[in-house]
Amino acid sequence: MIDFQNVSKVYSNGTQALKGVSLHVDDGEFVFIVGQSGAGKSTFLKLITCEERPTQGEIVVGNQKLSELKRNQVPYMRRMMGMVFQDFRLISKMTVYENVAFAMHVVGASNREIRKRVPYILGLVNLQDKARCHPRELSGGEQQRVGLARALVNNPRLLIADEPTGNVDPALSFEIVDLLNEINKRGTTVLMVTHEHSLVKHFQRRVVEINSGAVVADSCNWEVRNV
Amino acid sequence: MFKNLKYLFREGVRNIWSNRTMSLASVGVLASCLMMTGAAVLFSMNINSAMKTIEGSNSVKVYMQQGLPVLTAVRTGEDIKKLDNISSCKFVSKDEAIENVMDMLGQKDATLLSGMTGKDNPLPDAYQVSFRDLSKYKETVTQIEKIGGVGSVNDYSDIAAKLTRLDRMVTTGGFWIVLILSLVSLFIISNTIRVTMFSRRLEINIMKSVGATDWFVRLPFVVEGVIIGLISGALSTVVLHLLYGKMTGTLSSITLFTPLPISGMSMRLTLLSLLAGSVFGALGGAISIGKYLKKEGGDIVDW
Repeated sequence: MIDFQNVSKVYSNGTQALKGVSLHVDDGEFVFIVGQSGAGKSTFLKLITCEERPTQGEIVVGNQKLSELKRNQVPYMRRMMGMVFQDFRLISKMTVYENVAFAMHVVGASNREIRKRVPYILGLVNLQDKARCHPRELSGGEQQRVGLARALVNNPRLLIADEPTGNVDPALSFEIVDLLNEINKRGTTVLMVTHEHSLVKHFQRRVVEINSGAVVADSCNWEVRNV
Repeated sequence: MFKNLKYLFREGVRNIWSNRTMSLASVGVLASCLMMTGAAVLFSMNINSAMKTIEGSNSVKVYMQQGLPVLTAVRTGEDIKKLDNISSCKFVSKDEAIENVMDMLGQKDATLLSGMTGKDNPLPDAYQVSFRDLSKYKETVTQIEKIGGVGSVNDYSDIAAKLTRLDRMVTTGGFWIVLILSLVSLFIISNTIRVTMFSRRLEINIMKSVGATDWFVRLPFVVEGVIIGLISGALSTVVLHLLYGKMTGTLSSITLFTPLPISGMSMRLTLLSLLAGSVFGALGGAISIGKYLKKEGGDIVDW
C-alpha cells in the first residue's frame, strides 16, 4: 500500500524533516507511527497525502508513484484516503449527518448515494442517534467518531489518523482505536500517529518510531535502522 | 462535476448571504462602475447620432447680407446655382424664417416674437443649399462665401469637429474613470470573496483532504462573484434607464437636440451590463481563490 524508498525532505528554511526513510506498509496493515514532537511524523503523513513533495527518494501509494502525479491528479489520489485529525475539524454549523455527507458531496456523490451511505456509516461508529446534533452538542469522543465517519464515508483504502486521541479523554481513546481496529479488520489499511504508549502497548500492532527525521525502530522486523 | 452544479450554486448563494455587508459594498461599487460605463456609452452614442445627422444633411444655410434687396438676393441665388457642386438651392425668405422659429417655440413662447415680423424682422433672407459631393464641402462653402451679397454660411463642419472633440474627450476621460473604477471593483469583489473564504477555510481544508478538485473548491466563489456581478449589472441598468429617461425629457424641452430614445438601446445596454458584471464578478472570485488553492492542509486552517 505504501512504499517509501530512501525518502528525504528538506524544507525551504533548511530544516531537514526526513532523512533517507525507507519503509513498506502492506495492504490491510495497522501501523502506529510514534515519535517525539518535531521528529518528522507530520512530514511523513504530508508526503503520503501529497501536501508536501520529497526532496529526494520515491514514494509509492497504492501502486501510484507520487513523483509522477501531476497537481491536478492529487485530488483523485486523495479519494482513496480518509483523514482523521487531532482537532476533529468538524464544521460547527453543520449537523453530524451534514458533516459526513459533505465529504460525499465533494467527490460528486449523488443525493441518493448520500442518503443510503451516511446512515450506514453513522451506524458503524455508533452515532445513528446523533445524526441531527451539531458538533458542540457532542463529547470529544463522539466528535472524533464523527470525524472517523467522515473519513470512512467515501470507502477509502487507506485511513490516516493524525493523533486522533489527542483531544479525547484517555478512557475514550481506547474506544476510538477499537473502532480503527474494526475498520482495519474490514480491509482498510490504517496509519495512526500517536504519543500514547498505553495504546500502542495495548493493541499490539506494528509500531514505527521516527526520531530526528529517521525511522529508528520498526516492530515489524525488530531491527533498528538509521540510528 | 455537473451533477454537483446545483449544490455548488447553492453554496455560492449561501456565501453571499453569510457575508451580506461586504457583498452589498461590492454591489454598490460595481454598479457605480457599470453605470459610469453605461453613461459614457450612451453619451458617445448620442454624439455619434448627432454627428451623423449633421453630416447626413448635405446642405448648408446661406444667409444674405442684412437689408439686401430681394432682387439682388435672387441674383445671388442664381450665382450659387451656377456652382458645380450644387444640387438644389431653395430660397427661404426672412418672413418664412421667423415663422419657422415661432413654430419651433410653440404658441406660448411665440408671442414673444410677435413684434418681430414684417419690417422689424431681424432675420436675413437665406438659401437652403444642398451639395452633390460632400467631399467638396469646404471648397464649395468657400466659393459660396465669395459670391456678392452672401452674408454668412452656416457651416456645420465646425459643429461636427467640436462634437468629435467632445466625444473624444468623453471617451478618453470615461475610459480612465472606468478603468480606475474597474480596478477598485475588482479589488473590492476579490476582498469580499476572500472574507468568505476566510470564514470557510475549515470547509476548504476538509474538501481538499477528501479529494475535492480545484474547480470544486473554486466554483462556489466564482458563483458568488457572478451573482454579485449580475445584481450590480441589473441595478446599474435600472438606475441608468431612470436617469436617462429623466435627462432626455429635460434636454428635449430646453434644447433643440433630441437624444436617442432608450427603448432602442435598452436590450443591448442591459445585456452588456449583465455580461460585464458577471465577467467582473467571476474574475474577482477566480483571482481571490487562485492563490489560496495552492495552500495545503494545516496552512489553510492557520491562514
